[in-house]
Order: sequence, then structure tokens, then C-alpha cells
Amino acid sequence: MKAPGRWLADRWLTIGSPIALLVLWEWASATGILRAVFFPRPSTIAWHLRDLAADGTLWGHVATTLVRIAWSFSLAAVLGVAIGLAMGLWRRLREGLDPVFAVIYPIPSVLFLPLVSFLVPPGEIALVVTTAVTSFFLIAFTTTHGVTQIDRLVVEAAQHYGARGWRLFAAVLLPGALPFIFTGLRLGLGFALIVVVAVEIVSTSRGLGALLWLSWQVLKVEDMYATFFVIALLGALLSYGLVALRARLLPWVPDVGDR
Amino acid sequence: MALDRISLQVDAGEFLCIVGPSGSGKSTLLRVLAGLHRQSAGEVRIEADRPGTPLTAMVFQEHALLPWRTVRDNVTFGLENRGVARAEREARAREMLAMVGLARFARHYPHQLSGGMKQRVGIARALANDPEVLLMDEPLAALDAQTRTIMQEELLRIWATLGKTVVYVTHSLEEALLLGDRVVLLTARPGRVCQIYSVDLGRPRGLEVRGSPAYGALLETIWSRLREEVLRAIAADRGADSEPAGG
Amino acid sequence: MSVAVPVAALVLWEICSRLAIVSPRYFPAPTTVAWTVGDRLVAGDLAGGLLVTLARLAFAFALAAVPAVPLGLLMGIARPVRDLVEPYVAFIFPVPKITLLPFLLIILGVGEPAFVLTGASSAFFQIVISTLGGVQTMDPRLLEVGRNYGARGARLFWKVILPAALPSIFTGLRLGLGLALVTLVAVEFIAAKSGLGHLVFRHWQMLSTPEMYAAFALVGALGLVLTRGLRALQARVLTWQEDIGV
Repeated sequence: MKAPGRWLADRWLTIGSPIALLVLWEWASATGILRAVFFPRPSTIAWHLRDLAADGTLWGHVATTLVRIAWSFSLAAVLGVAIGLAMGLWRRLREGLDPVFAVIYPIPSVLFLPLVSFLVPPGEIALVVTTAVTSFFLIAFTTTHGVTQIDRLVVEAAQHYGARGWRLFAAVLLPGALPFIFTGLRLGLGFALIVVVAVEIVSTSRGLGALLWLSWQVLKVEDMYATFFVIALLGALLSYGLVALRARLLPWVPDVGDR
Repeated sequence: MALDRISLQVDAGEFLCIVGPSGSGKSTLLRVLAGLHRQSAGEVRIEADRPGTPLTAMVFQEHALLPWRTVRDNVTFGLENRGVARAEREARAREMLAMVGLARFARHYPHQLSGGMKQRVGIARALANDPEVLLMDEPLAALDAQTRTIMQEELLRIWATLGKTVVYVTHSLEEALLLGDRVVLLTARPGRVCQIYSVDLGRPRGLEVRGSPAYGALLETIWSRLREEVLRAIAADRGADSEPAGG
Repeated sequence: MSVAVPVAALVLWEICSRLAIVSPRYFPAPTTVAWTVGDRLVAGDLAGGLLVTLARLAFAFALAAVPAVPLGLLMGIARPVRDLVEPYVAFIFPVPKITLLPFLLIILGVGEPAFVLTGASSAFFQIVISTLGGVQTMDPRLLEVGRNYGARGARLFWKVILPAALPSIFTGLRLGLGLALVTLVAVEFIAAKSGLGHLVFRHWQMLSTPEMYAAFALVGALGLVLTRGLRALQARVLTWQEDIGV
């Protein structure tokens, strides 16, 4: 263990610069160097955030967004892992679906909203399905890759020692693909947040994206900043918190990274 | 601490081999000589009688070629950094590539070559730089046994032609006896000079030396001493498991 | 096989739509959509929309890449710069960049600068992170080679560090371009009055479905061409690289 003093000495810039920036911002908006209409003082934003939280408005929107993320992520995870595994195991299926995926994957998910709204009842279900699209492709891709990257030698060794069919899958293929599946799930969850916010901006009056957009439309700038802060916090939680959680719960599963 | 109280003198034109158990600081010693690792105490002195030439050039384990440069441009890398004119650089690269038998591969990229060929390029790169002392850090360790044997013969031939001063780190006693004028045995961590052996097996030397009684006797002598050090290193590692890792 | 599945899917869709097994109003036959693409691309809003989106994408990408690559490199070689900038990058990177749109709209007003900057922001952070990663994960032995063979200071940067980071920089540019396209089209869908994203939105509202699908297909084609094209370019430019990776 390093002494806390040393830890701080190593990171004083990293910790100090955001604090200095906030102080500078506070001062600049207070003295009018920054136009407070566009850049309200951080302390004002904090008060607004407290008010939003105190009267329950914020929690309602947070809950709505979280429930949508949970549904669409579950949908994407179940289908993505299942189809990804199938594509990893059967080459013909993979070759057949690859070009379809390649065309659909780069399309921004918000654009699927019209299409999905023709297929399923509009409203909550359409929103959840639209949000699931990008996460699904991401999870399916990484899962497929997770199966295909398994060393041929390991598979041959397992077969040599009598693992066939279901046993081969459960003992070798699934564990071998697991790090990739987890990475896919993590990325998929991050994308679920991105897309749900975009879809909420377009089509609903509830959820954090909607709160942000409505605050803009009525020019409640402080509420915009407050909402943004909550969304950023959620994003940090979903992408960094999950990495930390995985490291703690499943220390034997390495993160294969992305980026 | 990786090394402790190392005092060594290397003669001009000598081929000095350094052996020792894993973790005895063989590579660290080379890095100190190369100026890549700053020692906490002590000094390195290299007598340079040709001003302008670099003091050292290192042949790295697993070649460490720059993957974005062709074979020729890897060989000329050191010359380029010293501002040697293009025509001269290229002439020198041609000469060195011919010496290591890769004249035809000047325009290839490292990833197109086999392991043995890559290490030949690493050697040509060091030779082209024309250093006072050539430093070699287990240059053949990553090669398969047959390629390694061929490369050992090549090294003997090149050294006989150029007469460079060489400091050569290896974990193979057989290799040290085949190549070196002297063998320095380091102790387990922290590395100290345990014993220095003269290899009086005559020159020019070839693989047939391995059949001579003198070779066998010397190998036996050094190995019995090295074995003690290796066992000591293993015992220290086991002991270290229960202690907190430090420094 | 790789051709058979997409073709089969399209043929099935065609039949279902023609026989009104699915509603042709919501799911027009692929041939109808293809016809619309051809028609509208020659004389109609599709060509204009495509050009507008491409122009925005070019500006957004340039605005992101030009500062992001030097910043990422600087963060990689200068520890204080990394310490200073990293908290902001880490804070903004996981945030949906579309949320920056309303802020840019109030500061810059409704118009091209706000749209383009929103697209640029999503590319910017990706490129910074990939470039930084390229410097941080380079083989440390190559640095030793550089120093042992006399490359110091600026020379070490230009001859060793930059080339070693180049594959990651290229990957960052490729991912960044893709993200910029996704964000821009979303911005067009939500707020702009032109571009392919807006065309999907407008034709959805007017229920002119063949046109909607045509714009939709064009976005897909654009994404495919850009990502595949850049991949091919990367393999071509960085010939010394063995494998491009994901």
C-alpha cells in the first residue's frame, strides 16, 4: 500500500485541475466575464440539482430511463449472446449473417425508431426495441469473435480427451468466449444509455433525455446543466463501475478491452 | 537491488560472455553498459580511440526491429541518427546485410522475415553502427535449436572478420564456451561476480570444439558452480513467496 | 452463402410486400425502394440530403481530428499534460454526445456550427483516447532501441514514438469518423432541417415510406463505404502492419 500523501502527490494535477476549473468558472460567472445565461455558476447548478431531487422530479426521470435501459439491455443481451454464440459455432450461419450485420450496424439507432414503430405498438415497447438494436449488434459481434478466437489446439486437445457436443461447449467454448462476452455486454450497456437518451430526446416527455430537451426548449439553462451532470454520472457508473464490478466479482475473467 | 559490486575489465577485441541464474541481473548489467539504465553507484568507462563512433550498440532479445522500417532502413537507423550521408549509409547497409547473408531482403519489412532472419537484421543494425563495444542480450534465445546453432557459427565468423569487442549475455553455458574468450559467472540476486573463467580452447573455434575433453571439463566445472547458484535462486524465490514484495 | 442470405431476405420481403402479406404501406417492396433511390438521387431531395450530410461530416471530422491527434500524442509523451486533461476526457467520453447539442444550440444558436460541433465532439474524444493508447501501449523496447541508436528528443518522437502510435491513431480516426456520422445523423433527425437524418424523419412524419426507406438505406450504404474504405486504406498505407484488428 502506498501512503495517501504519496498518492495525492502523484495525482495532484488530476484532482486539482477540475477543482480549479470549477472555482474559476464560479468566479467568472459571478463577475459576468462568462455570461451567466449560458454558463450559470456551478453553485447555482448544484442548488437546482438539489431542488430537482428534493421535489422528486429528477428521480422520476432517472427511474424511467433506468427501467428502459434495463429492458432494452436485457433484450439485447439475451438475443445478442444467443445469436452470437450460434454464429460462432456454425460457420455457415456466420457467413450468411455477416453481410447483413455489416450493412445494418453502422446505421445510427435513432433511425430505427420509424421502422420499429411500424412493427410493434408505438410507445414504450418501440422505444425499448429501438434502444436494443445497437447493443444487440455489439454484443452479437463480440460474442461471435469470442468463440472464433478460441485456440484450435485447445479445442482439439479437449476433443482428444473426450469432450464432445454439449460438454465441449460448456467446458471449453463458453468459458473461452466469456471474456469477450463480458466486454460485449459492458459496451452494449454503454450504448444502451447513449441510444436511450437520443430516443428520449426525439419521442417522449419522460426520462433524462426528455428532461434535458424540455429544459432547453423552455430555456431553463440551470436544469440543463443539472440533467447533463446526472447523465454523465450515469455514464461513468455504467462504463467504469461495471469494469470495477467485474474485476471484483469475476477476477478470473480478463477484460479484453476495446477502444 | 539487481547488481552489487560488479567490477569487470573487458579487453579490446575480447569476446566476453556473461552467464548466471535467471534474475541475476545479466540484462540489467548490459543496460547499464548501454546507458539505458542508470546505476545507483559506480561508473562505466569505455576507452574510445575513434572519435565520433558510438560507444555501444545493442542486439536485443527477440530483435526489437522497428516494424515500420524496411530491413535496410532498420540497419541504417543508427547512422541516420548520427547524420551520416545517405550514400554512405546505404553502402554500409549493403555491406552489413551481405555479411549476415540478407543482401536480397533489403526491401522487405520485418514481419515478412523468419525469426532467425530478423535477428540477423538486428546484428547487422548493431554492426553498421560500428560501436566500440557490441552488446548482445541473449540474441539467440528465441530461436529454434537448429537455427541457433547455425547463427552461433555465423557469429564466430563475423567476430573473426571484424574483431569487435563483444559483451554477450546468455543463459546457455554451451553457447558461452563456444563463443567466449572468458566467461563471467554471476551469483543469484543480487548479482555479483562469482567467478571468471578463461576459455582456453583455441581460435578459430567451431562446433567441433564441443567434442574436446578440455571443453567437457570446463563445462563440468562451471556447471557445478552455476547449479549451486540456480538452486539458491530457486530457494530464494520460494522464500520470497511468503514475504511482501518489495523494491 | 454470404450472398444467399441477404438476397433471400430481400426476395422474401419483396414477395410478402407484393402479395400484401405485410402492409406495403409500411413495408414497401425492396424494388420500389431501389427505384425511389435511383429516382430521387438524380432529381430530388436524396442527392441534396446526401451532400449536406457529407459536407457536415467532413467539417466535423476535420474539426475533431486536427486537434485530437496532437493532444493525444502530447498526453502520451508529457505526463503533466495527461494528468491535466485526463479527468475531462474520462468524464465526457462515456456521455452520449447528443446531450451536448442543446448546450451548443443555446451558445451558438440553432444552425450549422452547433450541428457540426456536436458531431465533432463524438469523434474528438475517441481519437484522443485511441492516440493516447497508441503511445502508452507501444513496445518499450523500441524506445530503448531509439535511445541506444542515438535518437533523442524530437528525433525519438518522429522516428520511433509517432510511427509506433500510427496504427492506433488510424484506428481512432476510423472509429471517430463512424461515431461522427452516427451522431450527425441523429442530430439531423432531431434538430436539423436538412440531411439524410432529417429526410428519414420527415418522410416518417409524412408516411412517405419508400422515400423514408431510401434515405435509411443511403445512410447504411454511407456507413458501410466509409468504414470499409478506411479499413482498406489503413491496410494499404500501413503495409508494415501485420493485422489491423478490430
